[in-house]
Parts: sequence; structure tokens; C-alpha cells
Amino acid sequence: MSTTWHLPDGLTERYATGRLEPAQVMSVEAHLARCGRCRAAVPYEPEWLAASWERVAGVVDRPAPRLSERVLHRLGVPGHVARLLSATPSLSRAWLAALAAVLAFAVAGARLVPGEENVLLAFLLVAPVLPVAGVAVAYGRHVDPVHETQAATPMSGPRLFLLRAVAVLAVALGLTGGATLLFPGPLGLSAAWLLPALALSLGLLALSGRFSPLLAGAVLATGWFGSALVCHAVLNDRFLPFHPAAQALYGAATLALLPLVYLRRRRLAPGEPRWTRP
Amino acid sequence: MDTTVEVRALAKRYGRTTVLDRVDLDLGPGVTGLLGPNGAGKTTLLRCLATTLAPDDGGIRALGLDPARREQRTALRRRLGYLPQDPGFYPHFTVFELADYVAILKELTDRAERHREVRRVLAEVDLADRARTRVRKLSGGMKQRLALAQALLADPDLLILDEPTVGLDPEQRMRFRALVSRLGESRTVLLSTHQTEDVAALCERVVVMNGGRVVFEGTPGELAGVAAGQVWISDAPPSGSALFWRTADGRYRTLGENPPGGTPAVPAIEDGYLLLLGAPAEAAA
Repeated sequence: MSTTWHLPDGLTERYATGRLEPAQVMSVEAHLARCGRCRAAVPYEPEWLAASWERVAGVVDRPAPRLSERVLHRLGVPGHVARLLSATPSLSRAWLAALAAVLAFAVAGARLVPGEENVLLAFLLVAPVLPVAGVAVAYGRHVDPVHETQAATPMSGPRLFLLRAVAVLAVALGLTGGATLLFPGPLGLSAAWLLPALALSLGLLALSGRFSPLLAGAVLATGWFGSALVCHAVLNDRFLPFHPAAQALYGAATLALLPLVYLRRRRLAPGEPRWTRP
Repeated sequence: MDTTVEVRALAKRYGRTTVLDRVDLDLGPGVTGLLGPNGAGKTTLLRCLATTLAPDDGGIRALGLDPARREQRTALRRRLGYLPQDPGFYPHFTVFELADYVAILKELTDRAERHREVRRVLAEVDLADRARTRVRKLSGGMKQRLALAQALLADPDLLILDEPTVGLDPEQRMRFRALVSRLGESRTVLLSTHQTEDVAALCERVVVMNGGRVVFEGTPGELAGVAAGQVWISDAPPSGSALFWRTADGRYRTLGENPPGGTPAVPAIEDGYLLLLGAPAEAAA
């Protein structure tokens, strides 16, 4: 079969050097199949052919990025980092759905029964623990099925843990912050979970160098709920943990923990074996 | 032998149980098989070498690096391929995605180079046509091959394989042996197995562990030689507590004392292994 139209030189050159989009490659190859003149203009050395097939195989095999990876990519996160984060247990669809459900119930409860302090109190007590729980199950032997494999890679340990922890914190704080905006009443009160959440999360990171995040998270959550119980039962003030004085305490703890976590960032390695030198 | 891995007085205990009892071992380039019964300490030793478990005492030097030092541990991990005994998977990932994920963990950040490497290792284990299949849809053997593929990423100098042939069918096992033999030409490969046939087919050296100790180091021929003069074939079963089992032709293979009417047989690796362990006759049968 002959044709009167031929590939422009620029297009042939871009095809030969692998600079065309997959759809253009297919179009060019459809033309090459029936045009001997254009075929003759394309290099056909074995190396070029092998490289060309490899590019095609690369496009065919390459999986489409997951939704979470596409979202992260749009936020400026590099592709390989997005793939690493997509394996985080506490960024799975099930986990995010559970988190969203908890927040939706809290918002719905507050809107359906305006002025009901118990709903607000429950939200304020639970919200700081959500990011802690997320970080606690983000990395480690007991929560990640691939942990043993990844523990033998150079990226394991503090790098991967902190990467996942930051992503989980951003998502949990973002979703909880969004829910806060939907709460009726003054924002200053419904956002009173933020500083305790930051202090508890940083506390968890600081403890992760010595204890498993699961254990550290459980201890911190128990301590938080225990303190709230004491405020209610002994001091007879359910909202005491959210008073300005308490907020100042959380703020001070956050400011103290931030540099500590930063300085110890290379030692925050849950599950990393502790070697002793002979 | 050029030594690439040195293990000195390595000890590990879990509570009151001693899993590794001052193990000394030298490994060089080539394929070394690690044999031993369940609970012998094989997996614990491999995990220490793969830097995922710290020993209580003793030291390791692998590829000239000391994993007790953090920076050297990371440097060692860059040159390490590890197939754990129980490799986990993300079931919702595709085959390609999982290998790609591990490749990123191995610091292959350039996408084109990484994808080329992923395709290479998937082809090595005959999974190239399953690249887009989700892991949860793979058979046990395919998962094992995927686990092996991730260990091959980034062309490691030291390959640690914990029971790599579990779940492979005979054809895949043959392919695996060919692959590992080829890899062993230029690398240090240490593989644990219960299959003495794998050791005979693959390994230049063999190490036998029992009760947390190395009880034998040598060539497969030397391991078979442990049973020299102690392997017999007879028509009737031996009396007493000798190790014996009935073979496919209805005769009895006995390890130890010559049974009545017994004729000498050429010892195999399995014979030497069983004699070293002093396995009971029931276990051998």
C-alpha cells in the first residue's frame, strides 16, 4: 500500500530519539507499517530497535498511578515518594474512611443537637488521638506486612518512618481541621484539640526512638484520656484540658519537642535493630 | 577462599532460649547452602546477616562493612538482596507496583532506570507477563518468585535467601537453580533450605546448623563423605535403633551399623546430614 503523506523530518527525528508521547508513537508506527519511504528514514539498528521496544514495554507495563499517588503528585510530591506513601497502612482507603466516618459523626451530632456540650467534648477528646493513632500504625513490624523485606533496604528506618509520619499527620490534621470548620459555635473552642494533637504527636515521634510506636501511642492515648477523666471526676471540670492554661502547656510542650525530634531524627527508627559493638 | 562475610561468636537469645550459640562462619563468593532442622537458628542467622535483627553478642563483617555502625549498615543494605522466610506483600498492589516499591526503597529514584530494573528482575523470575496482576491473585509459587525478584533488584553483591524454593514447582525450581548458579558466579549467595537436592545441585559449600551451632562446614561432597562406610542397602530392615527407611524398590537404606545381609551404598548428602543430626529413624523415614 502506498501513501502520499509522509512523516515530517522533525517528527521522524523525535520518534527515533524516543521523544514522542505514546499516542503519537502508535500513530507514527501505524503510518510506518504501510509506508516504505518513511520506514527507510527511520534507523533500524538492533540497538535502536531494542531501545524502542523497551520504551514501548515501559509504557505498557507501567501501572497507572493510584488515586492517592495522583493527589500527592498534584501537591508537588515526587512520584517515587508518592509510591512509598501509598503503602502506608494508615493512609489506606479503609483507614481514611474510618477517620472520615468518625469526624462525620462528630460533625453531624454537633449540628443535629446544637449546644450539646457532650458532643463537642467527645470531639475535643478524640481528635488529638487520631493523628497519634495514625502515626502509631504507619510503620513497624506488627502493622506492615512488608516490614521484614523493607527493613533490609537502605531507605528503611528513620527516613521511611518520618516520611510516613509527616504524611499521616498532614492528612489527619487536615481532615480534622476540615471537620472543625463545620462545627457550630466559636472556632476557638472547637479547634482546642489542635495543640494537644501536636504535642501528643510530637511526643510519639520523640518516644519512637526507644519504644515501638504502637506502645508509645497506646501510653500517650491512655495518659490523655486518663487526664481528662481526672479533670472530670476529681477536679469537676470536664473542659479543663482545653482551658487557656492547659493550651499554654501544650504549646510549650510542642515548642520543646520540635527541636528534640529534629535533633533525634536520625535515631527515630522503630523496629530498627539495636546493635551493640563487640 | 576470598572471605566476603565474617561471622564471629554470634549469639542471640530469646528469653532463656539460645538461638545462636557463638556462631563462627566465613563465606566467600559463590553459593553456600545452609541446612538444618527447624529451630536450628538458620533464619535468625540470616536475619542478622540481612541486618534486620541485631545479635546479643558477637560481630559480623559483610562486604567489608560492620552493620553495628549505622552508616555502614545502610551502606551494606545498598549492596544486599534479601528474601525473608515469610515475605509479606501488599495484596492490593500489582506485581509491578510491589517490585517498584522495593526498588524505590533501594534508592532507585530515577523512574526510567527503576522501571527497566523492575522489568529485568520480573523477567528473571518469569513474571514479566504478570506485571499488571494484583498480588492477591497470585498463587503461592508466583508470590515466592515475586519475593525472589525483589531480592534481585539493584544487582546486590550479597544475596541472602531464606528457603527460596518453598512453593516452587519442579520446573520453576530448575529455573531458580539456573538463576542462582549464574548469580553465584560473581556474588556471595547464602541460601537456607530443607532440600538437600538444592544443595547438591547448587552449592559449592554447605553449612549445617543444629541447636544454634554450626556443626559442619565443607563441600557437598564432604558432607556426603560424613556417611562414608555407614550407608547400607538390605532386603530386611535392621534391628535396633539404626536410622533406616524403605526405598522405592522395596529395600532398606540404613545409616550406621551394617544390617544383616547389607551391602555398602554410595553415601548422599542427605545421609551425611542425617548422621550429623543424629535424626531418629522415624524422622528419616
